[in-house]
Amino acid sequence: MSSSLPTLLVLAVVLAAMFASWIFTPKGGNQTLIRTACMLTLSCCYLMWAVTYLAQVHPLESPRRAPVAE
Amino acid sequence: MGDEYPTLFRSETMSLVQLIVPREVAHDTIAELGELGDVQFKDLNPEVNPFQRSFVGEIGRIDEMARRVRYFTTQIEKERDHIPIRALYDSLPLVTVGPRAAQTLDELDTKLTDHESRLVRMNENYQVLSDRMKELVEARHVLRETAVFFDRAAGAEREIRTSFDDSSAPLLQHDDREAQYSGAVQFDLEFVAGTIDRARLPTFERVLWRVLRGNLYMNHTDIQEPFVDPATGAETRKNVFIIFAHGDTLLAKIQKVAESMGATVYPIDSNADKRADSLREVTARLEDLQVVLYNTGNTRRMELVTIGESLASWQDVVQKEKAIYETLNLLNYDVRRKTLIAEGWCPTRDIPNIQVALRHATEESGTNVPPILRELPTKKTPPTFHRTNKFTEGFQTIMDSYGIASYQEVNPGLFAVITFPFLFAVMFGDVGHGMILFLTALIMILRERQLGKADLGEIIGTFFYGRYIILLMGIFSVYTGLIYNDIFSKSLHLFSSGWDFPEPRGNETVSGVSNGGTYIFGLDPAWRVAENQIIFTNSYKMKMSIVLGVVHMTFALCLQVPNHIRFNRRSDIWTNFIPSMLFLQSIFGYLVVCILYKWTVNWETSSTAPPSLLNMLISMFLSPGAIDPDMQLYPGQGTVQMILLMIAMTCVPVLLIAKPYLQYQEMKKIQRQGYIGLDGEDSGGHPTDEQLEGEEEGNGRAVADSDEEHEHHDFGEVVIHQIIHTIEFCLGCISHTASYLRLWALSLAHAQLSEVLWDMTMAEVLGMSGIVGIIALVVVGAMWFTLTVFILCIMEGLSAFLHALRLHWVEANSKHYEAGGYQFSPLSFARLNEEGS
Repeated sequence: MSSSLPTLLVLAVVLAAMFASWIFTPKGGNQTLIRTACMLTLSCCYLMWAVTYLAQVHPLESPRRAPVAE
Repeated sequence: MGDEYPTLFRSETMSLVQLIVPREVAHDTIAELGELGDVQFKDLNPEVNPFQRSFVGEIGRIDEMARRVRYFTTQIEKERDHIPIRALYDSLPLVTVGPRAAQTLDELDTKLTDHESRLVRMNENYQVLSDRMKELVEARHVLRETAVFFDRAAGAEREIRTSFDDSSAPLLQHDDREAQYSGAVQFDLEFVAGTIDRARLPTFERVLWRVLRGNLYMNHTDIQEPFVDPATGAETRKNVFIIFAHGDTLLAKIQKVAESMGATVYPIDSNADKRADSLREVTARLEDLQVVLYNTGNTRRMELVTIGESLASWQDVVQKEKAIYETLNLLNYDVRRKTLIAEGWCPTRDIPNIQVALRHATEESGTNVPPILRELPTKKTPPTFHRTNKFTEGFQTIMDSYGIASYQEVNPGLFAVITFPFLFAVMFGDVGHGMILFLTALIMILRERQLGKADLGEIIGTFFYGRYIILLMGIFSVYTGLIYNDIFSKSLHLFSSGWDFPEPRGNETVSGVSNGGTYIFGLDPAWRVAENQIIFTNSYKMKMSIVLGVVHMTFALCLQVPNHIRFNRRSDIWTNFIPSMLFLQSIFGYLVVCILYKWTVNWETSSTAPPSLLNMLISMFLSPGAIDPDMQLYPGQGTVQMILLMIAMTCVPVLLIAKPYLQYQEMKKIQRQGYIGLDGEDSGGHPTDEQLEGEEEGNGRAVADSDEEHEHHDFGEVVIHQIIHTIEFCLGCISHTASYLRLWALSLAHAQLSEVLWDMTMAEVLGMSGIVGIIALVVVGAMWFTLTVFILCIMEGLSAFLHALRLHWVEANSKHYEAGGYQFSPLSFARLNEEGS
């Protein structure tokens, strides 16, 4: 049966990636920019994926295919 | 100061600097600082009339030179054949700094004056010659046409002569008169010949007829070729007329009428030979004149070409010099000591650069008296400066359009680099369209350098300015397109679907059966062919919009905290931030949690039916605590909702009252301590030490803190401000959360539009076969692609851009952005070129 657990697993991965992007950004004029961009991208993309995944785990209705008219 | 690197998180630290510049090196110093583009000069003579400022003479001279340069530009533009203007980066630079600067400028002035006088003279000559030529052409026409009249008359005369001897012939017969006056013997013909505008001809005839009471014979012909006015290009059509009359009075009257009607009279001889001579003469003069005109035109063109070679560099020099002298006017000129004092803002980080520039200026000018730079401590608010590069510039600009950040406030432009393209992409989500955007932006970026120099026009220029924004918008759109599983309105089947469709029995609709899996990335492709697709995607997208909206608003709210800390109002964290956050989270954060929770429950195996979340939220307010057990989302829901509602309700008065109350306490404390406050918030009347010092030393010393802005802690204002803020926040929470539903609305519109376009074009044509099918496919395919680019990418793109921007400006910025600053606008010659021409 499909479960919502994968979202939590991926969340852990994403958090690790965010942490890595925080410490591994090279120092310089663009450090804030790169850090912010990486962390925001990771969180936004994860959020959107997780919501889409969760919406389909226990769907309340199933797709109905109309007969294909020839 | 203390930061190693500049960040976009808040404005750079700015310092107020004072420059003491000796008069000899003043011009070169300002020129050097203008090239650097890092200092914003303050006006130290605000009450002085522009006509009374020190450098008004120099500015007058530069203005004259600028006027001449503008004159040359218009003359070059008016030339029909294009005259090339050598571009600025290609021209020889004119050195306007250093010991030879004054000489160069004088030379330039004389050169411009010479060119202008020559050009003006040539234009005048050309005008005169053109007029002369027009007259000669008309004269030639008149000669030709009158020759025709006379010939005809001579021919008719012989016929008429025979019947002439009858003395009872009526006097008013035209033929008689003509014969009488065109006799071979009598050459004293009285006539007036000339040209007149075709439009005026009938009126002319009528007037003459009335004035002379019919005692005239008039003949006229059209001149075939129109006369073209070389200056304006307007065409006029004229006719040749010849009027025969007898008697001097009549002739005089004809002359006067002709003059008043704007006809031109030409002296024509009645003798045919003399006419032939005149014609030859006129033709010869006309040819000469044409040659002269041609030569004049050529010389003028050569002059303009010479001007065109250096025009760009002249424009540049004139612009720069004007900017330099206008800036010099802002400085405080101490005539006795021959120094100028400048005050300005500059980024603290850049002070070493400025000092290098000053030293450079001294070397260039050849003197060895360097300008002195010192920092002034001040309480005034500096301008806001965000150091951007070509990538972040676009994003910073769109956020600055809402308002310039207050000095040292958290800069929303930094976060907009990612959140703006992301929210755009949520509304735009299509892999194909995203790729189109991405590729367009990529092309613009790869050809940055050439496109940057070219004049792109307003619309394309705006797109070029935002090329990095479009690039990111394209990338995120590809991502959201993969999530929505939409590529040009079709679905990709990259992973295994979660639905199986059994075989259809006959014509019935078939329901998919879940096979236990979930499509791992994005929307299941089984939904694309379903007739209830929209019901599912609507629910999904609406809930996603709310989730994204609440997360975005929470993030924006949290940006308040660094502001409170930086501006030393830590109490605001407790009186503003915490109550706002609790209010937002206890209602809408709870909604988001419920949405996510409802999705994790397997409703087929649960005991209760899935409740409607909207009804749940509404009944949370209308009938708190009363939860129907059949409609509950989770056990204990009633209590939890009551508690959350209580929290939200208490937050409102806390938000309303806490801050004013604390202010009140502060005021009381100060009042109890008495009015002794040196840098007090109440005492505005005590002069500070610096002010007193300044007054002692007399003029020439800048008074740095002359007009400070004190924030008057008027208790009434604080209360009103807090009331407005509370109401705005609480009502705004609800309306802004609903406003995020536009993320759903626009993505639905985009998907539907894309599908309709495909169904109406390609779907019709893909089934056709044979050569007709191929041709139809090509034609319709081209049409489909064009419509995709123009309607779906450009129109929908602009629409989604606007809505994403609105979400940032209204929903997000209202949670934290104060935007009370002013932009740092340094004297920069590079910027002059951008705005100028």
